[in-house]
Amino acid sequence: MKTRDRILHTSLALFNEEGEADTTTIDIANELDISPGNLYYHFKGKDQIIAELFQQYEQALSHTLTAPIEQPLSADRNNVEDNWYYLYVVMEEMYQYRFLYYNLDNILQRYPDVKRGFKRLIQLKRAALYAICQTLLRQAVIDAKDQQLLGLVDNMTLNLTFWFNYDQLLHDDRPPQVTIHQGVLQLLTMVAPYLGDDELDFYRDCETIYATMLQSSP
Amino acid sequence: MADEKSKVTDKASEIAKNIWLAGVGAYGKAVEDAQGRLEKVGKEPPKLFRELVKAGTALEDDAREVLETTVAARNSVEERINRVRENFHMQRPARIEDLNVLHKKVDQLTRKVDKLSKALAAQGIAKAPAARKTTAAKKSKAAVKTSASRPAAKKKAATKTTVKKTSTRKKASTTGKAATSKRKS
Repeated sequence: MKTRDRILHTSLALFNEEGEADTTTIDIANELDISPGNLYYHFKGKDQIIAELFQQYEQALSHTLTAPIEQPLSADRNNVEDNWYYLYVVMEEMYQYRFLYYNLDNILQRYPDVKRGFKRLIQLKRAALYAICQTLLRQAVIDAKDQQLLGLVDNMTLNLTFWFNYDQLLHDDRPPQVTIHQGVLQLLTMVAPYLGDDELDFYRDCETIYATMLQSSP
Repeated sequence: MADEKSKVTDKASEIAKNIWLAGVGAYGKAVEDAQGRLEKVGKEPPKLFRELVKAGTALEDDAREVLETTVAARNSVEERINRVRENFHMQRPARIEDLNVLHKKVDQLTRKVDKLSKALAAQGIAKAPAARKTTAAKKSKAAVKTSASRPAAKKKAATKTTVKKTSTRKKASTTGKAATSKRKS
């Protein structure tokens, strides 16, 4: 791995573990066992590292989020569950850059470029969730129309965006799979009232898995 | 090729438009428009492509970027969905359908084992009636363990044929019998 990539990789890990605000370029250099001068040669400061990390994140998540807009994830009612699995995919991707969400307002205030990009991502999340809900509506999986549907989409976007922050405030550090699974479960909880009995099976499974996870994790 | 490209470019720009309109708040209408236009695209892509080119370089740039990555991204999303699905099926509790599938399998195996044990009993009477009968009886009792007892039964059949062929190796066949009965317990 090139030094530049190693810096990005280590920075991301430190930001996620220790928090972005508490991590300095010196910490990053120490962790990598390189001189601050060497780090400075690649990045002129933490701003640049954050900017590049966010760019990576925006690119990756944008690709994931455009998938359901471009083409329905489920061809018919038989693979409706793919839409729910997709929510895992999105949450797992977000989790890799969770430091953004833990300290969102602070980061957005300090980095205007990140703020612009983050706004685009929220709109894209909304568009992706809307596209999914539209597909479900067309396939008669859910029954919610007009304002109700838009409200549902906004609630899901809100939940998706602030879930990590909420989860951390409430539970400190939980195993990632528990955080992610409950995040998806919360999203499904919002959809559940609009689901028919057939599709509720999946929701019940999710509930059971979550209960098992809580029992097995300390 | 041109058709293909304009189709994808159009899709991409629809996405961009959706997003933009979403921000403005004209959400529901935007998607309706987009769907309407998508339907049109199927009929007359070249015209729409020209329109898009006219629409401005900013949009065109966005579109091209998405065009290049869109296919790869789609694949990776599908792959990841598949991975989550597999993982999910390992974690979720069994449903009635799963149990039914398993029941059928067990039934099939039980039938096979019954056949095999009947065949064995019929052939075994001549050679070593006492030993065979007890193993057959055990087998039907252990019907629940069908998957475990089936390979054992097969092996027994195999040892039998070798016994027939080589009369000098009777001792070997008895040790084989011992081994199979051990395996069952």
